[in-house]
Amino acid sequence: MNTKAREKSQIKVITGNAAAAIAAKLARPDVVAAYPITPQTEIIEQISQFHANGEMDCELITVEGENSAMNAVTAACLAGGRVFTATSSWGLAFMYDAVLATAGARAPVVMVNVNRETPGIIAVSSGQQDMISTRDAGWIFLIAEDCQEVLDLVLQAYRLAEDYDIQVPVMVHYDGFYLSYLSEGVNVPFQEDVDQFLSVLKDQPERTKLLPGSGLGCGSHGILGGYMELRYKHVSAMERAKAKFNEIDKEYEAIFGRGYGGLVEEYRMADADVVLVGSGSMCGTIKTVIDTKREAGVKVGLLKMRMYRPFPSEAMIAALKGKKAIGVVDRSLCFGFKGGPIYTELKAFETQLGGSKMISFIDGIANTDITITNVEQMIDTTCDLAEGKDVREVTWVSYPEAQEDGGL
Amino acid sequence: MSEVRFHGRGGQGVVTTSKILANAFARTGQFGASFPMFGFERRGAPVTAFGRFSDKPVREKTQIYNPDIIVVLDPSQRNSELVFQGLLPGGMMLLNDSDNTIISHDNLKKMGIIDANKIAVEEIGLVIPNTVVVGAFARMSGLLDIEPCCDALQDYFSGKKLTANIVCAKRGFEEVELFDL
Amino acid sequence: MTEKKKGKLTKVLDHLKHEDPFSKGVAFCPGCGLELLARFIPQVLGNDIVITGTPSCSAPVLLGQNNQSWHKLAYYGTLMTGAAANATGLARYYRKAGIDNTVVCFNGDGTAADIGFGNLSGAAERNEPFLYICYDNEGYMNTGIQKSGTTPFGATTTTTPYGKTSKGKNLRRMNLALKMAMHKIPYAATATLSDLDDLAKKLLKAKEATKRGFAFLHIFTPCTTGWGFAPEDTIEVCRRAVKTNYFPLWEAVNGKIRMTKTVKKPKPISTYTELSKKFVHLTKEDHQILQDDVDYEFCMLGGLSALEGECQLPVSSED
Repeated sequence: MNTKAREKSQIKVITGNAAAAIAAKLARPDVVAAYPITPQTEIIEQISQFHANGEMDCELITVEGENSAMNAVTAACLAGGRVFTATSSWGLAFMYDAVLATAGARAPVVMVNVNRETPGIIAVSSGQQDMISTRDAGWIFLIAEDCQEVLDLVLQAYRLAEDYDIQVPVMVHYDGFYLSYLSEGVNVPFQEDVDQFLSVLKDQPERTKLLPGSGLGCGSHGILGGYMELRYKHVSAMERAKAKFNEIDKEYEAIFGRGYGGLVEEYRMADADVVLVGSGSMCGTIKTVIDTKREAGVKVGLLKMRMYRPFPSEAMIAALKGKKAIGVVDRSLCFGFKGGPIYTELKAFETQLGGSKMISFIDGIANTDITITNVEQMIDTTCDLAEGKDVREVTWVSYPEAQEDGGL
Repeated sequence: MSEVRFHGRGGQGVVTTSKILANAFARTGQFGASFPMFGFERRGAPVTAFGRFSDKPVREKTQIYNPDIIVVLDPSQRNSELVFQGLLPGGMMLLNDSDNTIISHDNLKKMGIIDANKIAVEEIGLVIPNTVVVGAFARMSGLLDIEPCCDALQDYFSGKKLTANIVCAKRGFEEVELFDL
Repeated sequence: MTEKKKGKLTKVLDHLKHEDPFSKGVAFCPGCGLELLARFIPQVLGNDIVITGTPSCSAPVLLGQNNQSWHKLAYYGTLMTGAAANATGLARYYRKAGIDNTVVCFNGDGTAADIGFGNLSGAAERNEPFLYICYDNEGYMNTGIQKSGTTPFGATTTTTPYGKTSKGKNLRRMNLALKMAMHKIPYAATATLSDLDDLAKKLLKAKEATKRGFAFLHIFTPCTTGWGFAPEDTIEVCRRAVKTNYFPLWEAVNGKIRMTKTVKKPKPISTYTELSKKFVHLTKEDHQILQDDVDYEFCMLGGLSALEGECQLPVSSED
């Protein structure tokens, strides 16, 4: 069949959660663990329905908690299976010991985490704090901007996680509520194209599998020297994941016609003097405001992070070098630091940015809306910084009281 | 781009109304995005949903503060201040009500009134007015034909329910009373 | 040795149809019941089992901490919190991939009765197709003898020491095996090292039962170091635990309980406690509390095993 002659996908108006569930189905996992938590529940409901309809040939484990979800998929993955599970917030926290073990075992698990707050203040609301709280677990983190990217990233995640040279678990993050419940048009690819995209994984050497009678083991003690070696190899694989992800994104574009620029997406960056750095659903709003500002002659661009772990420092430096001023927008906090987490990390590369000035914006936590007005304010403040005006290092955009407090 | 805010109560299908409309727009090659206001959903509790409909991709991921159109599925909210909050001048309102008394508001230019509950009871036997409202919205806004709305219903209903809801949408389209203010 | 006793031993040896996969000289304490058990299981079930274990007394041997003496089994070292969930993942994948297997989830009482009980119960509820073995040494022995849910009344541990206001553990032990039988799984049983023929039969029945779903074995495995009995008394402690009804031997198929060994004249509990230093401080009154607990539990078991009728279960696990 001439692939160019036929439609490559069909448009469905679906939620971010449905996009994740459909992507999981298209990836044909062997084992799926399902446990509900707001705002992720719809994913495992949809997968359960696919399974009940006979559309999804997988072992579906309706576990009794998230901790078991992660343990079960990790074990199935080490045995040789392709696996999927999804969680959010407290669920991610409840599986944290297993999340660490999964990474340490280099099990190429793919999991969706629908971002939600995790404070003791009960907040069933959006925010990337759950992601930040697990950033040093040794997983690869990808972040989606819209429902389409949710679907695309889940498929790309399998290629990255299961790549023989990588073998690191991947978590696909997207904003709870803002994307999980957003219905919009999504190009749903056909099964045969997804099969083709993932078929590369079958042609590579087989990863080590825990099979009956094999005499092989995993999860063994590695105190004597082996531990350092394995940790170094893990860190090296994370580094390799950057270039690999760029390749995968290009290949994805060749098959499905959608590419995002790999590790980072640059929006109107080429001639920009002033840049906002953001991630997730806020980027759509930022792009809209940038278009308006551009009409008024403001040279502003957006650098969207699609990968957060490993930190794509090289790509970010290349994109940001020489810009007059950079405003980093964080939807989470970094306790013990004044600025947001991404700001704090990017700050480590400040000397390589060719004199760009940087400030931190904290907004959108606990469902606070990152509004058009808020983004305009962020751009204006960053422009002020570019012009050499005195600007605060950290601005809590939706909580002006923070600026009046002497503590920050 | 039209920004639409939907007001109703849990059980009326408020969120589904906005989803079906987003779906219908996608079927015409346009773009639609819909999402609920975040909160605990319970039958009978006030529900708000948002819809953005455009001929260009919708990228904004914020709530709607200044709607062009408000859609009220719950007659008891017809005079609520919250419903009219931020309505832009030249705005439209679609109201589900058995009483076709016009509401006066400075920014309201056009109004559509439909007794969607009555039609829903007649056609599907339940007081779920959402699909009638979808048809009425298409007519009042002039943004959509009725066909893509009926096509969109296939993604949410099947069999007899689909047939009945298509009738609901068509009757909404035909029977909505329009008033220029 | 009498002819009769020889016959018994031959009967046990007949069950050992497979190679001992463990190297000689492993990192267990002298007289450890766990070593006998760890060597026994694969010799009965075969070396093609996939065994999972957690940080525990079995870990140094199973997970190769003392890497000069190891074993030939396929194994997976899991976290204590998710032991049964890991075994679930393995068993489900093997089933999906059509790989014939017996996954043996081999854990101590700390994992089974305490920190990992939630997912053990969950796996039983879902009737997952694997064998869960709890070797019960009544405490956290690998970390240096702390109290667990199965530590009995009166036993001293480092977290339930004897003192002015304490008799050792002031609470009763959890009956883990009975709890598991109440899940009405295809097979649940108790066993111990003094009755190896019984243990071997139960291992084989449990392996067979995994074709229908979840199987659970609770194996009483005394700890010479933690309990303070002489290394050569390990089997005697087991024997007396059975003879006092402290640890009755039974099995349950689909929740239907049947005694596999009946003790005609149960000995008083003191004949069991006298062997271990962990009970040395117990008074006559304390012994009565322990005796009452043992009697009540045995009475409960008797009542349950007398029940007629059988629970009809779905024959396959979830999915």
